Amino acid sequence: MSLKSVIRYILVLLLLVVLAVAMFVGMDFGKEYHRRKVSDYYIARGVKDTGAINLVTAIYLNYRAYDTLGEATVLFVAVLGVMYLLSYEKTRDENS
Amino acid sequence: MIEGLRESRVSDKIALTLFLIGLYGLIAKKNLIKKVMGLNILTSGIVLFFISLGYEKGLTAPIMEKGITDVVDPLPQALMLTTIVIGVCITALALSLIVRIYRRYSSLDVKILTGEGDE
Amino acid sequence: MRRQETKIVRNVARKLFPVLVLFAFYLIIYGHISPGGGFQGGVVLGSSLILLYLSEGPERVEKKFKNSQLAILEAIGVLTFVGIGFLGIILGKHFLGNFLPIGRVGMVPSAGLVLLLNLFIGTKVGAGISLIFYALMKFDRRAQGE
Repeated sequence: MSLKSVIRYILVLLLLVVLAVAMFVGMDFGKEYHRRKVSDYYIARGVKDTGAINLVTAIYLNYRAYDTLGEATVLFVAVLGVMYLLSYEKTRDENS
Repeated sequence: MIEGLRESRVSDKIALTLFLIGLYGLIAKKNLIKKVMGLNILTSGIVLFFISLGYEKGLTAPIMEKGITDVVDPLPQALMLTTIVIGVCITALALSLIVRIYRRYSSLDVKILTGEGDE
Repeated sequence: MRRQETKIVRNVARKLFPVLVLFAFYLIIYGHISPGGGFQGGVVLGSSLILLYLSEGPERVEKKFKNSQLAILEAIGVLTFVGIGFLGIILGKHFLGNFLPIGRVGMVPSAGLVLLLNLFIGTKVGAGISLIFYALMKFDRRAQGE
């Protein structure tokens, strides 16, 4: 291995060590258990508002249904992209 | 940092380790497919971290049947559902791009593809 | 590339396929009562088609579950989702607002709009995953046949 690649590996490992230290120092690992106020509202009023016992389904199909629509669109575009990228036509690919 | 190492939970430590492993794979590996695998590991680490944010000992799953009051936080789980699906989409598109790149340039090595050549 | 698997694998896959489809529909329809939902059931649906494809071979499966039919199913899934959203606006509430009755909590036909949306999301995800697999397999077959 040449000197340049050794220096690059050392730099990458240094970056990872700095990130690990930053993550463990900077995070707020408090002793008590946080819960957002929104989650308290969802747990208290979810079944009454929507009628669904599964709270996760009640969230992503009732309170936040627009995000689910965006995700369905992303899946649609991804399928379109894969079908376009993998449409192999012989005449076009040989003359690149 | 020692307090952070001592007070954090096991799931947080595992999630951050997965994140760092995935990041290393994404940056340092020369093969394109290994980079995509690193991206997947990174996504798994992030999903695990967010889902474990809502957990504490003694709480159960958020299915509110009769008589259940103490449940886990359901909001990060709903967000991570979307994240997982988008991770699948990113992997599918990245792998299709890699197939096209290989057909055109006959190489999967990043150094050869970006023109730096052999050292 | 091997076209068809052995008779044992083919028979087991044929017996497993209806069970997988039933399980996928159970996950989708009971999405608001027990863990599961549209996305989970859709992925199991796509996996059942992939299992059939890998064991039977491309010719028979692509004749039965055509590419164009799957594409139509996927488009129906997304468009109906948006259509139900606009129906919410027409009937007075916001986009994707709940206009069906809530019903008795804990039964299947309850929770208003959630069941309908789960169904369409499930078909969309199942068709999408199968379409990605079809595109990969067709590319592989054409690239090998040159």
